[in-house]
Amino acid sequence: MVRDKCRHLWNKINLRDGFIVTENCYHCNRTRVYFSYEDVPPKDEYKEGEHYFNYAGSAQSIKFDLECEKCKTVVTFEELMGLMQCANCDESCHLNVLSKICEGQNIWVYAALAYRDGDEIDLPVKSLDILTSHFTSRLRTPGKRILVVPGSLRKSPAICRGEMLRDVGMLSLTPET
Amino acid sequence: MTVKELQSKLDLNALNEVSDTEVEGAFVSDMLSDVMAGAKAGNVWVTVQTHKNIVAAANLVDVPAIIVVRGKKVPEDTVQVADRVGVTLFSTDLDTFQVAVKLHEAGIKPDA
Repeated sequence: MVRDKCRHLWNKINLRDGFIVTENCYHCNRTRVYFSYEDVPPKDEYKEGEHYFNYAGSAQSIKFDLECEKCKTVVTFEELMGLMQCANCDESCHLNVLSKICEGQNIWVYAALAYRDGDEIDLPVKSLDILTSHFTSRLRTPGKRILVVPGSLRKSPAICRGEMLRDVGMLSLTPET
Repeated sequence: MTVKELQSKLDLNALNEVSDTEVEGAFVSDMLSDVMAGAKAGNVWVTVQTHKNIVAAANLVDVPAIIVVRGKKVPEDTVQVADRVGVTLFSTDLDTFQVAVKLHEAGIKPDA
């Protein structure tokens, strides 16, 4: 990848509170995820095309942009919903394999879970690189690094036991279902 | 002051191995999004949360220790994740305010 001339130092700006909203189609079980900036998460039922979507849960979270404090470049992350650390639930999952390899090097892997129009996507490499740079630059432990990778490294999002870092069901020992 | 020294000063119950990492400041919140946005490397985090994701959030921002307050029971999977990433978990029967006061009395200052 071609490096910029600026050795960027990224800081969070434009922090916005909101909710990560999950909806399910009760016909085909298709799931859509989006971010709502409303004070209360929308719990509408609605039809869209062949789908009948119901509210399936929400969680408080934040959105942010990153600004380089040197060159003032701003990068937005509107499609990023959250980060997830691998739960090591499947030995054959690529995210699990990568996490275990990296841990031995004091590199901690987080999957970037992103959605466009409700459907899961991978962030472009440049965005992942910027997130990696930002979170690593905040560390103080010598030799420690953060690596942000695509969510598609998960073998199967449907059965993945990893959980996005967000504020839901945290006061219970039983995960919210 | 190190995490180990902090344990002694506040009489905290350690749930896993206590690190020698230097503590710089404290962060009080029960929301992961707050911590990911606002906690600084070296902060000790005071929270009532016990889900294993508190460890993932702490590790992301280089928080070396988490103090779980009000005697909340920390599940074993949270302790296991903390062991794996090297974050020290403490528990105390004190509430958040009491812990914050004790941290201040122990010399932990607010971030500038």
